[in-house]
Amino acid sequence: MTNLLQIELRKLLPYRTFWVILLLYSGFLLLFAYASSHITINGQQSGAEIYQFPGIWMKLSYVAGYFNLLLGILLIILITDEYAFRTFRQHVIDGLFRADLVAGKYLVVLLVGLIATIVLTLIGLGFGLAYNQNITPGVLFSGSLHVVYYLVQAIGYMSIAVFFGFLIRKNGLAIISFLGYTKVVEPLIHWRLDDKLDQYFPMKVLSSLTPMPGQEVLDSLTGPTTALNPQQAILPALIYIGLFYALAFLVLKVRDL
Amino acid sequence: MANVLEIQNLSKKYPGGVQALQQLTLTVEAGSIYGLLGPNGSGKTTTLGIVLDVLQASQGTYNWFGQSLKKETKRRIGAILETPNFYPYLSASQNLKIIADIKLANHREIDSVLQTVGLFPRRHSAFKGFSLGMKQRLALAAALLGDPEVLVLDEPTNGLDPQGIAEVRGIIQQVAAQGKTIILASHLLDEVQKVCTHMAVLQAGKLKVAGRVDAILAQHDQVIIRTENITQALGLLPQLPQVSNFRQEENYLMLTLANGYSSADLNQAFFQSGIILSELTVRKKSLESQFLDIIKDKNTSPA
Repeated sequence: MTNLLQIELRKLLPYRTFWVILLLYSGFLLLFAYASSHITINGQQSGAEIYQFPGIWMKLSYVAGYFNLLLGILLIILITDEYAFRTFRQHVIDGLFRADLVAGKYLVVLLVGLIATIVLTLIGLGFGLAYNQNITPGVLFSGSLHVVYYLVQAIGYMSIAVFFGFLIRKNGLAIISFLGYTKVVEPLIHWRLDDKLDQYFPMKVLSSLTPMPGQEVLDSLTGPTTALNPQQAILPALIYIGLFYALAFLVLKVRDL
Repeated sequence: MANVLEIQNLSKKYPGGVQALQQLTLTVEAGSIYGLLGPNGSGKTTTLGIVLDVLQASQGTYNWFGQSLKKETKRRIGAILETPNFYPYLSASQNLKIIADIKLANHREIDSVLQTVGLFPRRHSAFKGFSLGMKQRLALAAALLGDPEVLVLDEPTNGLDPQGIAEVRGIIQQVAAQGKTIILASHLLDEVQKVCTHMAVLQAGKLKVAGRVDAILAQHDQVIIRTENITQALGLLPQLPQVSNFRQEENYLMLTLANGYSSADLNQAFFQSGIILSELTVRKKSLESQFLDIIKDKNTSPA
């Protein structure tokens, strides 16, 4: 495993695309956090209210959920590159097996997920400390479980992307299919299907991990929506992650490289 | 000697319905330089792709060193299949580090294999800036990492200039001199004739002939003889088992040797019958004409 990680790092660290997408992700998140703290409502800056501990963790995780698509696209680029350069093929000739190819990309998913979560945590700490007085460690990290839910969500998004990458192999087409599935196909299914069923669909499960702050208030106005809460969503999310890796491996196993 | 590679009844049908390989059975012995020869599309690369684990066989089995393919076995093989495959944005030595990690080879070997293929001065240049010849050399360097017992080379001189071709040939012979086995696919007859000890000829996915290069070449050697008494010789020839065919030209006779006989056997037979030959010349058929004969003869079955 450490050998596989080392091999992946040798490809990633010198690759400009990897850094550009991570910078975009961090930049967008920072910009969003900064902009929403400077909205003035009733003569008061919103930052002071939004970025109170512990609510800040839930709010930031929800926002970060929107930028998971960037991470998914990064993974698709990394996988379809290997098809374009025919390096998957060379790796199998040189000594890896197909399961190692999938495992290597899974390690990249974990790595990118951890980096995204660390970026999220740093931004949360930065804005939180700026807008809070009288901070104790207990206050600081209460509600920080939302960050862990976010990590699982990011891994889930990227796992779906990994599957599309291995399945489709061509980068443009894979990215379009990934966006099409996550943003068009599944929402359409949700729209047609009973909430009791669609709450278990992959995108719905993943988005349940970082629910919209203030959903309770909204529910009291429009009637409750049926969705899992983060605690309930974690197990189905992990099952989906496992399933997408199994599918990616199967696709790789039955096809020529 | 132990067998390095055994292929049994290997068949491959591509999803489009093309039957690229039919019931191929081959054995490569340790220490041989084995040439896979055939026109484009005859199944050479398909065969190598299957035994290198990147293509799925429709039927049949293969084993390396008497075992099925494992991580340890893969490390004993260094291979180039079709194109040189590297990360374009990485330098030559960065690319080789990845391969060394996969093969669990020491990174200290990298400089020496780069020197072997003459790329050491360009080790820090990005792969994307390399010429086709340099890419091919880097692929050869990658195949040499980890000191493999077997080298599998698919068209290794593709895209090289004459000097490069001679150098690659030199490297192959140098590696072979260390007692290593080399499997070489090529459509260049000259290449196979110059370096290989064994060969197999494929056509349209079928094995046409396989064996030692000299044995395949020795088949149907032509011999020209001159003698004072042509009439006496003509009378004797039909009775000689050493001769499979003969015809009379202006002032000499053109004979074709039967399998298993040499020109010395022929000379002895004439001498015993009291016919003195004034000239005896063996005309080796070039591999090219031999190859064309094999390809033309639709009925040739594997030896």
